[in-house]
Amino acid sequence: MSLRRRTLLKVIVLGDSGVGKTSLMNQYVHKKFSQQYKATIGADFVTKELQIDDRLVTLQIWDTAGQERFQSLGVAFYRGADCCVLVYDVNVMKSFDTLENWHEEFLKQANPPDPRAFPFILLGNKIDIDGGNSRVVSEKKAKDWCASKGNIPYFETSAKEDYNVDAAFLCIAKAALANEHEQDIYFQGIPEAAVPENEQRGGCAC
Amino acid sequence: MKGVFSAPGDYVHFKSQVPLHKIPIGTNQWRFYDFGPKAVPPLICLPGTAGTADVYYKQIMSLSMKGYRVISVDIPRVWNNTEWIQAFEKFLDAIDVHHIHLYGTSLGGFLAQLFAQHRPRRVRSLVLSNTFLETRSFSAAMPWAPIVSWTPSFLLKRYVLTGIRDGPHEPFIADSVDFVVSQVETLSREDLASRLSLTTDDASVGSLLLSDSFITIMDTNDYCAIPQQLKDQLGERYPEARRAYLKTGGDFPFLSRPDEVNLHLQLHLRRVGVEARPDLVHNIPKGDLGGSPSKENNGDDSDNSRKDDRGGSENPPAEYEINPTSPESSGSGNLDKQPLDSSECCHLDHELTLTLYDFPGGFTRETYIVPPATPVHFMWEYILFHLLRYISSLYIVWNYSLEFRQVV
Ligand SMILES: Nc1nc2c(ncn2[C@@H]2O[C@H](COP(=O)(O)OP(=O)(O)OP(=O)(O)O)[C@@H](O)[C@H]2O)c(=O)[nH]1
Ligand SMILES: [Mg+2]
Repeated sequence: MSLRRRTLLKVIVLGDSGVGKTSLMNQYVHKKFSQQYKATIGADFVTKELQIDDRLVTLQIWDTAGQERFQSLGVAFYRGADCCVLVYDVNVMKSFDTLENWHEEFLKQANPPDPRAFPFILLGNKIDIDGGNSRVVSEKKAKDWCASKGNIPYFETSAKEDYNVDAAFLCIAKAALANEHEQDIYFQGIPEAAVPENEQRGGCAC
Repeated sequence: MKGVFSAPGDYVHFKSQVPLHKIPIGTNQWRFYDFGPKAVPPLICLPGTAGTADVYYKQIMSLSMKGYRVISVDIPRVWNNTEWIQAFEKFLDAIDVHHIHLYGTSLGGFLAQLFAQHRPRRVRSLVLSNTFLETRSFSAAMPWAPIVSWTPSFLLKRYVLTGIRDGPHEPFIADSVDFVVSQVETLSREDLASRLSLTTDDASVGSLLLSDSFITIMDTNDYCAIPQQLKDQLGERYPEARRAYLKTGGDFPFLSRPDEVNLHLQLHLRRVGVEARPDLVHNIPKGDLGGSPSKENNGDDSDNSRKDDRGGSENPPAEYEINPTSPESSGSGNLDKQPLDSSECCHLDHELTLTLYDFPGGFTRETYIVPPATPVHFMWEYILFHLLRYISSLYIVWNYSLEFRQVV
């Protein structure tokens, strides 16, 4: 009997310090939100299992430090990423302006085979603040940016109010899964794929 | 099988920096590395059947540089699980270590869990990688287990090696397999027999006092020798454990995906409250922490470079306290000097000029794979043939004899 291998999808979340990356992930995975700000140091990850169509998928979501002095990530961290989530705070212009850098940085580090086809997603977070009165980045502006990057999907979220968080991550998972499918096709030519799963092997479990 | 295996440059570097310890404790000979600040509770790495303390050299190098203490051991020659627990406890007492964090891969992960179950006060956390909860399926797959302690070395070795997936692999995985194979070549008959006995000694892990939040499961998602079913069973046992899955890496991710593994180990240690002491790292070149890479001993320790004295019977075991100043294989005269471009050692502020060289013959696969044609081997095949007539694993022996004759 050959059990089906789980599908593992690696997602990387980038964005300026304080935009709410950690909060979004906590809301999504643990259904919790904290007012208190605790800077992420280096990196950390959470996992979440979910079903997409008939497939059981494990999302491995990597949280990163927005603060430069806490960034100490090697290439290892980016290797094998299936989707990159960019986050900015709709109330802070600078966090939107730096998206360009995060986007570039990711492509440089992860070095995906086809940079233009690699799935990104943009989240504009903290739309709850002040009932939207303090926002400085309009939805249109964000969408224009997304269009200029090859139509990347855009979600407006609130980690605090749990608004659009599930929808955003479902979209992320689907984009990652699609990316992973393409890799499957890409690897089909390699002989290893032809080795039958339940092939009898001698020897011990080393 | 292929020809000469040449040791990777970073391994040569490792051997020149990190002393190998060999100490007898009770009836067991312990062979291990212990590197990094002694003030930090150690992460102890336990290898699988086809492993030695050396397979974790990339973890030792990288984590010790970051201020963690890493110990990696050879599984000692013990023959059942009770013996293992007692032997390991004596080992910890001997090196004066009380609270530990265990990183176990495959058989090592199983042994780590058993130790955590029976010595709950000592084990603070577990990282379990490609491992299992019980041995039943292995003993079922190895019906000749009862005669394992009489089986000759070449058959044991062959059995262990057939458990390692053959290529074609991507280069890093291929290198990791080569490295492990070279390590298996250094194992004695008793080493192999005892490990296979441990894998087939009927036992299962009972419930742990350790809370799941102190457990990280680090499985590779591409493939490994441990059946998925057994890995799933382990995952179900620790539902709240952290899942640090690696997309790829095969059986030996600590060698094939060292930076990812090291990152996960670091995250685990941080999570369970182990604080690194990078401030103590710069002492390493001065010899305070048991590793003296200073220039004085480059070249004067001609004694045991690369022989690796696995049996421990020919060479007297080095004293634990004395040994640290003489790392093995610091290189000798006839070698090309090359700068090592290892980013891993960029934090050390001493010179990084190293000598890289091939281990002449020391890691040659043929050494064991093609033994001299003594009648004993054929006799063994004959005996085993009759013993194991109905057993599927017979084909290994048969295969062997075919291949063997071709070679001779
Ligand atoms: N009102 C409101 N506050 C939020 C929201 N998301 C996050 N915050 C708050 O913003 C602060 C920063 O959130 P974090 O999630 O820690 O930010 P981060 O992006 O992870 O920051 P770094 O770890 O430094 O990169 C915290 O005080 C959160 O409580 C949101 O949707 N609405
Ligand atoms: Mg954060």
